[in-house]
Amino acid sequence: MNLTQQLINGLVLGHAYALVAIGWTLLLGVARLVNFGHGQMYMLGAFVTWWAVVKAGVPYALALPIAMAIGALFGLLMQRVMLKATFEQNLVSIMIMTLGFGYVLQGGAALVFGSTGQILDTALSRSEIKLGELWLTQQDLAIVLVAIAVFVGLKWLLDGTRIGRLVRMVAEDPKLAQLAGVNVRRVYYGVFAFEGAAVAFAAGMVAPRTPILTSMGFEEVIMTFVVVVLGGIGSVTGSYVAGVALGLFTALFGALVSPAYTTAACFLVLIAVLVLRPGGLGAGSTAGVH
Amino acid sequence: MSGALLQVRDLQVDYAGNRAVDVRMLSVSRGEMVGVVGANGAGKSTLVNALIGWSRGDPVVRGEVELSGQRITAWSAHQRVRAGLALVPEGRLVFGRMTVEDNLSTAFAPKASAGQRVYSRDDIFELFPRLLERRQHLGSQLSGGERQMLGIGRALMMGPQLLLLDEPSIGLAPMLVSQVLQTLRKLAASGLAILLVEQNVRAALEVVDRLVLLERGRVVLEGPAAQMGSDPRIAQAYLGAHA
Repeated sequence: MNLTQQLINGLVLGHAYALVAIGWTLLLGVARLVNFGHGQMYMLGAFVTWWAVVKAGVPYALALPIAMAIGALFGLLMQRVMLKATFEQNLVSIMIMTLGFGYVLQGGAALVFGSTGQILDTALSRSEIKLGELWLTQQDLAIVLVAIAVFVGLKWLLDGTRIGRLVRMVAEDPKLAQLAGVNVRRVYYGVFAFEGAAVAFAAGMVAPRTPILTSMGFEEVIMTFVVVVLGGIGSVTGSYVAGVALGLFTALFGALVSPAYTTAACFLVLIAVLVLRPGGLGAGSTAGVH
Repeated sequence: MSGALLQVRDLQVDYAGNRAVDVRMLSVSRGEMVGVVGANGAGKSTLVNALIGWSRGDPVVRGEVELSGQRITAWSAHQRVRAGLALVPEGRLVFGRMTVEDNLSTAFAPKASAGQRVYSRDDIFELFPRLLERRQHLGSQLSGGERQMLGIGRALMMGPQLLLLDEPSIGLAPMLVSQVLQTLRKLAASGLAILLVEQNVRAALEVVDRLVLLERGRVVLEGPAAQMGSDPRIAQAYLGAHA
């Protein structure tokens, strides 16, 4: 085993986790919602990108915004259905509805795309970068760079712009935000659209690393859950750090112990962190997005 | 009153079938400062919250609320804010995780119309110099008085035609109460309409033009502040005078 290679694999995997989780981080921070359909939205993003590239002959760079648009549309649709429950913070209903929505998406995707596994090949995933014995693809490098750019961009948007301030107001106290003239309903729609677009974008970036199946999504939703909770609810920086840390842990645990037990080990880490630091790694945060 | 900025007719607010407010008529004109007083549970907070369509519960609201001749009864809170109503809620609520500057952000660009003033952050800092010193502090780090100033400043940033305040003096030192109320008086003198809900009747009488006494959700007495101060019902129940 080459430790440096495992660290590279872990870094790529970690940035992929962080990228997949970013939409949920915002959703949880702003609307205090969990979306158990997140994994199936990832699957949809991957298949739309695959369909656009392979079937429609669209360039990969254009397929990504197409997948994002479809993802955003599904996010808006979900929020339309769950708006009342969102305002009432009816978390049990929301969990069940998002879970159900995920299964509907899975069934619909199987109907449209078939149940055969597909490969999303891109020019980047075919190009290798070799540094002596070390190896990664340009797609891997792109995942790392894009994830960093997306996190820096989101942090800037939240901390440095007027829209970000309004989103933070809603995240902290949606009722009080109304008195600042904020259309809370529109912010909730925006956050769901962002979640849908972000996870579709992440899928378009990450899916070329593995075969894609309409039945996938479970692992993605589980790992996303671990990342957002480990990172601290609503913490953008925390999610990034947790994603990368989890990727490194997964890669090293898989190489040193066994890949078969990595998910169980991840949850052990999650439980240990929550016992020692109940707010997650981004502790100190009680409510809101930051 | 014809030509009033705010007109309320037959406003009823029910919580779980219990009537909390039943106001037949209430009006506020431009530049007028109206005080709403009453005992605990009289429906004062429920009244101002219903005027702006804002509530932490789930009340049933009936009746008509007009602002500048526009019916706003069915509008949501943020729409009413954009139309020119602003509320400083009870409890000195500010965004604790945001700086003073960020607390003064607006979701829209208020328009100056019909004597309505648009305030900038600098105007707010001029009005409350203490906030300027604390501009980079988080809302949660402010004292009670500073939070109240910030709440008023945030409401003014909405460019209101009518400013609603719910018990701004609660928990403040007497000197701060006087400072806050005098600031409100100055704002009214500049043309802003103000509806002030206040338990401190003595303090309210010093600054308001007109006083409304609410009991069990109903207006039981209303008149110019100068006359209301000497009304035996006000004097005995709220000013500590003996019959």
